[in-house]
Amino acid sequence: MATQVVDHSALKVNQTAIVTTVLVAFAGSAFYRPLLVLIPLLAIVLLLGTFAPQLALFKQLYFKILKPRGIVKPRPVQDRPEPHNFAQGMGGVVLAVASALLVPLPVAGLALALLVAVLAFVNVAFGYCLGCQIYYQLGKAGVIRAS
Amino acid sequence: MSTQLWALAVAGVVVLAAACLEVVRARSARARALGATAEAASEPYLLYFTGEGCTVCRTHQEPALAKLGSVRVDKVDAIAERALAERFHVYTLPTTVVMSPEGRALHVNYGYAAAPKLERQLAEARGAMQVATA
Repeated sequence: MATQVVDHSALKVNQTAIVTTVLVAFAGSAFYRPLLVLIPLLAIVLLLGTFAPQLALFKQLYFKILKPRGIVKPRPVQDRPEPHNFAQGMGGVVLAVASALLVPLPVAGLALALLVAVLAFVNVAFGYCLGCQIYYQLGKAGVIRAS
Repeated sequence: MSTQLWALAVAGVVVLAAACLEVVRARSARARALGATAEAASEPYLLYFTGEGCTVCRTHQEPALAKLGSVRVDKVDAIAERALAERFHVYTLPTTVVMSPEGRALHVNYGYAAAPKLERQLAEARGAMQVATA
């Protein structure tokens, strides 16, 4: 499977938006509980973006607004988009589980959402993508065709 | 507010536990991979395990390897060459292995390894080679 050009700025914007949304939901819900609705909304945005890239809200924000206006500079890298999409989908699934837990077990729901934010932050700050590593492991195990 | 504090504590414990597990896993894999063999050469060289989906390999590891100058780097696709990857217990990409001229693994780095670290490991390998020939 050949590599193609992936704009890493779009990925960084996506990850930054994930961290920001979870933090706003987490901190804001201490004062205004309905802000917790941001977590299921984020799960929907991530899952939609995984299966239909044109519906990836944060990436579209980058491609339609931030990049054309020069607010964020593009950073094209020879890469494969599949591991990143897989990581995003994984984040979406974990956030969906977190959303389901928010009412019966709010501590567990919020903790799971925080973990997604931590992993997104680690990706932005250090370039380590846990979802991509899981994608590699699944490829190695023959579960998915990773190469 | 207490819900948020408890959630923060739970997430913190999970992150800490994951970090500890990663350290244990890397140590254990490194211990098993050290001494594993590949082909012999006249100088110490590097095995560089990578894959098409490895972003850090392109953005960080390959620029670091380019800084090493004339050192021989054998690039290995960890999925296509699974047997070799298993021999060195490659569980994450990138993985770099400093090989002695006899083809024995001297240092194994799981995850990104910066150029100064690789240079130090290669210098140790050259030092060991000189001691052996003296």
